Amino acid sequence: MTSRGTPSRFLQSVLQNGVGRYVCQLKRLSIIFSKNAQSSLGIRGFIEEGVVDYAKYNPSTVVYVSPQPCRIPKIVAEYLNGNVREEIVTGKTSIQISEVLTKLTNQSGLDIIRLRKPFHTDNPSIQGQWHPFTNRPPCIGPIRPQKQDAEQGLSNI
Amino acid sequence: MVFLSLSCWIRSRGPDRYWKIQEIVKNAKHFRGRKNRCYSLAVKAVRRAFVYATKGRRLKKRYMRTLWISRIAAASREHGMKYPVLMHNLTKSSVQLNRRVISDMAITEPRSFLSLAKVARARQQEGFRAALGDGKEPVGVFSRVVLLQ
Repeated sequence: MTSRGTPSRFLQSVLQNGVGRYVCQLKRLSIIFSKNAQSSLGIRGFIEEGVVDYAKYNPSTVVYVSPQPCRIPKIVAEYLNGNVREEIVTGKTSIQISEVLTKLTNQSGLDIIRLRKPFHTDNPSIQGQWHPFTNRPPCIGPIRPQKQDAEQGLSNI
Repeated sequence: MVFLSLSCWIRSRGPDRYWKIQEIVKNAKHFRGRKNRCYSLAVKAVRRAFVYATKGRRLKKRYMRTLWISRIAAASREHGMKYPVLMHNLTKSSVQLNRRVISDMAITEPRSFLSLAKVARARQQEGFRAALGDGKEPVGVFSRVVLLQ
């Protein structure tokens, strides 16, 4: 995985999210599981006990529960910027699935690729960015017209 | 007549060839020439690229440090000091800023960098006075800073 071959991005928040009100970036959660398969045991347990509390705790996220005949249970998370993330939860316990859900809730929908820097500022320079004249002393005196001797000498010529 | 053995002659020789090739060729898409398309050339090129990437991760740390050091040296020479003098006196005054932060300060906060240079200069003068004077008067404020480990 080279740095040029794989995509990368800078650290950012979605529209300066925490500055004013915090908006949860998770739009929709679809829990796809099977009613009888053994791999969805943890999911079924989570749906019995934890889903309603989760939905009450996060009123801005819509939770869809869809039992289907499927081999691998999945949680599909859609974010406000349109990114879709699928987590496969075969064989996980109810507690592990709630941890997965908290992780998905806390994520913004930005791509999970290499971050170029672990920090970001909009205003990196407070005292003024350096330029070649910052540390040079200013000119000796105020700018005035030339001396009168020089003027008389020029007029004589 | 019934041909029963005909169907036994049809073999599926691995259904995943396309994806196995794509797994490697997708890392070569930004290369030049045929090595971004043809598998046998791409394999060699991608392996080299990964080896260079591994080696480069260790070299990047060295390059960044030399870049910071050259920037701090240039900035301190603007204020009439040299890099080793600046860093040595800053460590003696227990200023534990690393080179990355000091180089960023030299670029974005030139006045704070000037104050750091003045601290280093004061500590240097105190060191000279302590070495040459050998008197019992207290040397100065900066040399009495407790050095943290």
